[in-house]
Amino acid sequence: MRKAQENHYSSMFRFLVVRIMLVSLGPLAAIGGANFLLFYHLNKSLVLEQHANFLRYHKTSVESFLQGLVAEVLSVANNYTLEELVSGGLERMYRMVQERGGLFEDLGIIDSMGNHVQYLGPYDLARKNYRETEWFRKVVEEGVYVSDMFLGFRGVPHFVIAVRRTVGDDFWILRATVNTDYFAKVLDAARLGTTGESFIVNERGLYQVPPRSAGMPLEDSNFPYLDFHPGIKVSEVTMGEKVFLCSSVWISRPKWLLVFKQESEDVFSPLWKASLLGVLLFLVGGLGSVILSVGAAREQVKRVYKADREKEALTQRLLLAGRTAAVGEMSAGLAHEINNPLATIDTLQTLIRDLASTSPISEEDRQEIMDSAAKIGQQVARCKVITQGLLKFSRMVDAPPEEVDLSQLLEELVTITKTRAKVENVALHLEMENLPKIWACAAHLQQIFANLINNALDAVAGREKPLVRVKARRQDDKVIVSVEDNGCGIPPQDIPRIFTPFFTTKPPGKGTGLGLAICHGLVQNMGGEIRVESAVGLGTRFTVLIPIQDARAQNGAKGLEGRNHTSPERVSPGRPVHGELQ
Amino acid sequence: MENSSEPITVLLVDDEVEFATTLAKVLRRRGLEVQVANSSREALRLVSKENFQVVLLDVKMPEKDGLTLFKEVREISPHTSVILMTGHISPEQERSGRSVGAFAYLLKPYPIPDLVELIQKAARRVSVGGHSEKNHERGGT
Repeated sequence: MRKAQENHYSSMFRFLVVRIMLVSLGPLAAIGGANFLLFYHLNKSLVLEQHANFLRYHKTSVESFLQGLVAEVLSVANNYTLEELVSGGLERMYRMVQERGGLFEDLGIIDSMGNHVQYLGPYDLARKNYRETEWFRKVVEEGVYVSDMFLGFRGVPHFVIAVRRTVGDDFWILRATVNTDYFAKVLDAARLGTTGESFIVNERGLYQVPPRSAGMPLEDSNFPYLDFHPGIKVSEVTMGEKVFLCSSVWISRPKWLLVFKQESEDVFSPLWKASLLGVLLFLVGGLGSVILSVGAAREQVKRVYKADREKEALTQRLLLAGRTAAVGEMSAGLAHEINNPLATIDTLQTLIRDLASTSPISEEDRQEIMDSAAKIGQQVARCKVITQGLLKFSRMVDAPPEEVDLSQLLEELVTITKTRAKVENVALHLEMENLPKIWACAAHLQQIFANLINNALDAVAGREKPLVRVKARRQDDKVIVSVEDNGCGIPPQDIPRIFTPFFTTKPPGKGTGLGLAICHGLVQNMGGEIRVESAVGLGTRFTVLIPIQDARAQNGAKGLEGRNHTSPERVSPGRPVHGELQ
Repeated sequence: MENSSEPITVLLVDDEVEFATTLAKVLRRRGLEVQVANSSREALRLVSKENFQVVLLDVKMPEKDGLTLFKEVREISPHTSVILMTGHISPEQERSGRSVGAFAYLLKPYPIPDLVELIQKAARRVSVGGHSEKNHERGGT
């Protein structure tokens, strides 16, 4: 029983914890989740925008750098004649360039036949003929040409800016090789985060300027998005084992793709850090909520437990009070039933004294004395049966549930009550159909029906042909016991209050007002129902519905506890000890 | 014990057969002339046939309320003193018993010598004829 109660409270506790947590965490999770999504998307778009913007500025700087180089070469070619350049002009210019940091690696003038007119630079290229080279054909065609990176005669990756100067029918070409280190430095000047870096590929995906972390010029970059696109394209690219966020943009001359790449992890790390913080805050909040829920639930369960204990104690007191009252109500009948044999005994003992006082005692008188003594014994036995019944009735207050033979219980009860009924000339009938055994507390059943029958007897007092009828039958999974009388009935306005403790219509000192309240409580305790129908002047019927609980199932569930609780000295019901009372 | 030459005639009405027969024996040994009725019908039959000085009547009889029987006895024999007996007595019952004019209302078990004395008093009251409030009061206590 205690175990079942503990289970009851712990499941109540779990239920409350879950409920309170749902109530507190539900909205928190909803709002938190929504906020998180909003925050995440907003910030992600900001990060991507920042990435693209960075490339946009970078593109401008790279383009202006290249345009600056082209403009410089153009201005030299256009502002100087071939003679001026050959006779020291180019040389002055080359020195100037080297002094300014070596923007151009070398400078050269090539005639229309492809031969070097003049070459200034570290390589031995003065005698080379360029007529068959790609860049030579292009510059002849286009006038100004910026080449892709190529190896050329020097066997080192480089790119050139070439300008054609037409003089009459002939032309010459000014060619400058861009210092790739310098250009790489310009490109590398733009960094972002810890892994942000730029690189340039040509239309075929070959590195023009490789990223500083890996790759060589003219190596295949494996960059997948080489088709032309206007503006900036942002994409995620897997290179090696890492995922990179890449923004790319085409620059006009030469037709190179400028790519700015950064490890996605690096790009989004501030976002992830912020998100992590958010999740952490949510978890802390959740933990707080859990702690509060558990505390609140524990407090609540404690209160319920306390209230239950108080209610139990109160019920116990009510039960005792009710039992005492029931005994009191029965006392009229019992007094009569005991006083009658006592009177007989008293008379018998007087007779014995009378007979014994004569001397000598005749044989006839002696026999009479013996008979009288035997009769005293019979009367004493009669009293004993009554007092034993009373004892039994008052002893079984807190008996545990057990298998109860309701027919037997009702028969015994009616037998006890018949003493009172007989005194008051009330016809008390018991009608039973075959009743199953039920699982209940016998003492409680006794109290319920004793109360109802006593009430019925009270109700018929002073009526003509007083009748109390107890009927019991089975219906489906219930046992229905009704106690009806042809008594005074209950006024309709009192009906709602009859089960309220201390409500009584009996004169002071007669009724406690507890009987029906206790009946109601006890019936509810066993999962049953109690109903009342009454008509003033005609009578009242109380109907008790008790669920038939399978005794075997109950044994399975509570058997052990039941056995532990059943102490051997407890009086078991079912011995027909009241049989002779009638 | 006998205060008059004529024995006092007593009708004892009680459905407790053992009690009635034994009490009758005891009373007879004390010089009273006692007849026993175990039912109301028997009691009424005897009352209408003979003239009893005192009727000892158990209030709780199975088929008829003791007080109703009492009234019927008084109707048949108005000069008979009636002593009511009961196993259980409530204040209301005692009041109603007195109000209908019973000589006394006794709670069983009642000591035999006192009962004999009370019967003698009740019989005397009959012999002088008329009610004696004093006896009536005393009988109730």
